[in-house]
Amino acid sequence: MSKAYGGVNALSDCEVRVEEGAIHGLIGPNGSGKTTLFNVITGYERITRGEIRFNGSEITNARPDRVFALGIGRTFQLTRIFGRLSVLENMLVATPRRGGWLRGIVRIAGSAAERRRAMQLLEFVGIARLAHDRAETLSYGQRKLLELASLLVADPDVLLLDEPAGGVNPTLINHLAERIRDLNKSGKTFLVVEHNMEFVMGLCHRVTVLSQGRPLVSGTPQEVRSSPAVLQAYLGGLDDTATERQLTARGDPVGESSAPVRPAPPSARPAPTHGRRERVKGAQPLLEIDGVTTGYGGGDILKRVSFEVPEGGITCIVGPNGAGKSTLLATISGLLRPRVGEIRFRGRVISGLTPRQILKLGIAQVPQTHSLFPDMSVRENVEMGAFTIADSRRVRERLAAVEELYPLVRERAQEKAGSLSGGQQRLVEFARCLMLDPALIVLDEPSMGLDPQMRQVVFEMIETMNRQGKTILLVEQNARAGLRLSSHGIVLENGRVRLSGSGTEVLQHPEIGALYLGGAVAGEGGRGDEATPGEGDANLSHATDAQRG
Amino acid sequence: MKRATGSGSGWRVLAAVAALAVALVFAGFPLLVTDSTATSIAVFTLIFMVATSAWNIFSGYSGYLALGHAVFFGSGGYAVALAARDWHVSGGWEVFALLPFAGIIAAAIALPFGMIALRTRRHTFVVVTIAIFFIFQLAAFNLAFTGGTSGIEFPITPFSAANYNQPFYYVALFILVMTVALSWGVRRSRFGLQLLAIRDDEDRARGLGVKTGRIKLAAFVLSAFPVGMVGGLYFYFLGQIFPQFAYDPLFDVSLALMAFLGGIGTVVGPLLGSMVLESLQQYFTQSFSGSGTYLIAYGILFLVVILLLPRGVVPTLAQLVANRRARALTRRTEEVADSGPAVRSGVAGAVH
Amino acid sequence: MSVTDLLHAIVDGILTGGVYALMAAGLTLIFGVMDIINIAQGIMVVLGAYLSYALSTHLGIGLLPGLLITVPAMFLLGVAIEFGFMRRLREVDRTGMSILITFAVAILIEGVLSAVFGVDYVQLHASYVDRSVRVLGFYLPYIYLIGFGLAVALLVALYAVLYRTKFGRAIRASLQNRTAADLIGVNVNRTRTISVGIGVAVTAIGGMVFGATSAFNPNSGYDLISRLLAIVILGGLGSIGGAMAAAILMLVINDVVAVWWSPTWAPLVYFAVLVVVLSVRPQGLFGRTAVRAQ
Repeated sequence: MSKAYGGVNALSDCEVRVEEGAIHGLIGPNGSGKTTLFNVITGYERITRGEIRFNGSEITNARPDRVFALGIGRTFQLTRIFGRLSVLENMLVATPRRGGWLRGIVRIAGSAAERRRAMQLLEFVGIARLAHDRAETLSYGQRKLLELASLLVADPDVLLLDEPAGGVNPTLINHLAERIRDLNKSGKTFLVVEHNMEFVMGLCHRVTVLSQGRPLVSGTPQEVRSSPAVLQAYLGGLDDTATERQLTARGDPVGESSAPVRPAPPSARPAPTHGRRERVKGAQPLLEIDGVTTGYGGGDILKRVSFEVPEGGITCIVGPNGAGKSTLLATISGLLRPRVGEIRFRGRVISGLTPRQILKLGIAQVPQTHSLFPDMSVRENVEMGAFTIADSRRVRERLAAVEELYPLVRERAQEKAGSLSGGQQRLVEFARCLMLDPALIVLDEPSMGLDPQMRQVVFEMIETMNRQGKTILLVEQNARAGLRLSSHGIVLENGRVRLSGSGTEVLQHPEIGALYLGGAVAGEGGRGDEATPGEGDANLSHATDAQRG
Repeated sequence: MKRATGSGSGWRVLAAVAALAVALVFAGFPLLVTDSTATSIAVFTLIFMVATSAWNIFSGYSGYLALGHAVFFGSGGYAVALAARDWHVSGGWEVFALLPFAGIIAAAIALPFGMIALRTRRHTFVVVTIAIFFIFQLAAFNLAFTGGTSGIEFPITPFSAANYNQPFYYVALFILVMTVALSWGVRRSRFGLQLLAIRDDEDRARGLGVKTGRIKLAAFVLSAFPVGMVGGLYFYFLGQIFPQFAYDPLFDVSLALMAFLGGIGTVVGPLLGSMVLESLQQYFTQSFSGSGTYLIAYGILFLVVILLLPRGVVPTLAQLVANRRARALTRRTEEVADSGPAVRSGVAGAVH
Repeated sequence: MSVTDLLHAIVDGILTGGVYALMAAGLTLIFGVMDIINIAQGIMVVLGAYLSYALSTHLGIGLLPGLLITVPAMFLLGVAIEFGFMRRLREVDRTGMSILITFAVAILIEGVLSAVFGVDYVQLHASYVDRSVRVLGFYLPYIYLIGFGLAVALLVALYAVLYRTKFGRAIRASLQNRTAADLIGVNVNRTRTISVGIGVAVTAIGGMVFGATSAFNPNSGYDLISRLLAIVILGGLGSIGGAMAAAILMLVINDVVAVWWSPTWAPLVYFAVLVVVLSVRPQGLFGRTAVRAQ
């Protein structure tokens, strides 16, 4: 089976060949057109030139249902499921490829055979016991599994997976990789888009690197790894030891690992900044979270969370999916009000204040999902950061200061913010949050969805802002990178603080491996977001007290 | 993990008994209650139960709010009236035989109606249904063969004054049973499942092979049929039909209100909602003849329902029960977790 | 039918189209900021007309000066409705629910108007209403020109506010990304409330002109809202410019058909045009192709 195609906005003269029975990886820097490629294959977007061939016949611009009927299924970057249906019902929606449409009206939703098969598939991915729960109650990781399983019902020959390992803890990543291998052995072909290098290199038979809409290199993982052109595409000529390590060696990568890993010894951390980060100003912490319990109405997501954010440092919150990290940040910025407990900033209670008031006190946040105003220009977006300042001269001053740090703002000033790539939007968001010169900057997953090159840039910017005296509080899915960057670390799990300490301590703590960094410890796997509420709590409570401070 | 046991089968028996009791009451109602006001209210109620249930098959399951079903209601009425007049059907039971014809006419109208309207996105769709509704209303006013503003009269019925309502009641009941069976059948079928999937995430449903265009259209046409039938019945019951009655925007809104009250998207919800509301509505029209107060009361009622019970009675109750159970569960496990050292919960092997 | 008649119809269409454009702009603004389709916009125009009526017949206040009272009054009504009802709508299925809620509000207002004013037709009168100016062989009522002038002035003002003022930016920000707007200190709730207030306030002006040009009663709301909806959909939900263009287009077509074919069929053609355009281009003439969620 092969595909070949031509032009579209995000792709140009792109040609990709996928062989039957292969697991083919698709990687590339942000904005290189990977998701567009998927959209084009599955009919959600049209191409202007070229063609797509499947098994010899042409399927260019075919509609999504036809593409699916031909045997090509796909998952989405942001997992999509049918929330109001039960898990089992989700499975039954996918039409088997052969079968009359009219008969479907009369037939019951799922014959016994179909239900059996659906249950088998649910077993296969591991969520069979949730079969009758409403799909919207599933955690993020479970939803990914469901999305995959519901494709399998129709027994497609080809599966297009869009960032299957994104935003998911390493235990689950192992699990997914194994499932993919199993399916591949039974004859299915895969095309996988991913940022997670280890995942891709370890799993795929062949890898194609896309850069700016066209393929750069295509070959075995080894070949791709050692190709200087690939490094160039990612690094853009920057000297970046971390990413280079990641692409060229199996040594000590930045990012999740699919193999059991020992925590990094302290000497591996870059020396120069190390000492600076450990120095912490003053006795009173900048921000205190005290016994905060809150949720969104369905139940409490945070349960008596308490910790401190020291002034001048970088504090990183890590934890598995569903731990409550984003909820915590939303509460800090005033988007949510704690049911119990309070938050203090420089000793003053801020929980219960409006976002505007909190902003004026000196806390700015860059949320997880894109928070720019897409139809406004880049400059307008950044200026909006100073919305609460009335004096326009001061706004201009701040803008000039910010532009120094982020020349991108000056360069792309008039362009609509929505047209920038993911990484560039992130930088504009950073620029915007600096407009008010805040004392505390809160970042929710700043590196999510970015390729390794942009990730490094982002982390560098974080360090730069910290060097200029700003206290940083960030949430990171990429625990190792985040904790390495930080002077302090907090591990949040299931709405509670499990570990806290300096960045190194948390990173090296033996329990953290068990917690979610890897499936190293057998028997303790299957926790985190797989566990039902309450079941996974128990294990590390004894660690909390020992690690405090 | 212990689930709430034992009560499962007990509930089912109770439900079956309740259903049987309800069926008996419905069947025997007009024989027991002879007051003609009460029975005519009952006829109206049954008619609206059919209409709301049918409407729900499309709007409730697919999530596309159609506010133009009055087109089918009125057209069904006109179909019967015109057929009775032009084919010289004598009054009485023969007219009832025209009802399926009314349904077919309504379905036939629904086909082009749906094909045009369903090309648009969800909220544009609502407005298009409203626009098409107004087209029909205007046409009815102006076209000659519909009798213009004076309307058409139905043939006189020979039913005795005392039992006048009974035949209408039973015909309506019959249509209701068929419609509920249809609604239930759709709900359980793959067709229904795909409609629900469309409601949740239409694009993804398409990507999974669901032929969304055809399914939505089929549901739309299907929902028009019963509405056309009871439209014919309704106007036959009244004895005459004219445009502002036949095509009344309040009708459209009433269907939505009734379905929302009871629980849109469920099988039972629309029945409950229409039962409650139509009886209320009839009571209002009997008591307040002045249109002003009636509208005020209606508007307020509508607002109250939507704001306080946005998902309707049935789902809200179901949710309360589920919440109570879930909360009890979390409380119990929290106590276990807080009580100290590691409790190996044995969930380890669950995923792998 | 002569060229003069045709010209007359076109000019009439443009003038009345301007007023409809203003009311439609209010409707589409409310949608753009709140994702809400205000079905009550039609009856609110009637309410505005009745208010002007009450002021002029009972208090002797002229139509134009009366606007100084009716416009703020309608603004407050819009604010009250947003505060009382619209705010409670959760994001999911917001638009669908808003249609039902505003329909309910429309019924409520109609009931109140019937109870207070009865169902007889009335019309607004003023010295200039009944006079016209002679142009190119036909007569143009002053009121048409005044109404058009008002509408244009206000639309220009609206644009200026949206694109030149800080508040306008706040509106556009809340429209594009609510969370982000919150996080930079925009008072999203207040912005939305004021936007709805503006969207409703314009109906006061529309009501005055409408009431002066045709007889009305509480039932007139349906005809109005159906036309306004058709205009807004045709122009594309959320596009103020689109609403303006569509308004003028529809009204011109309406008036031309009325003169050329028959007045009774004119409204029908109106909707038929809408249906035809939508079949070909579902997002309207200038609509946003990507509407959030659905």
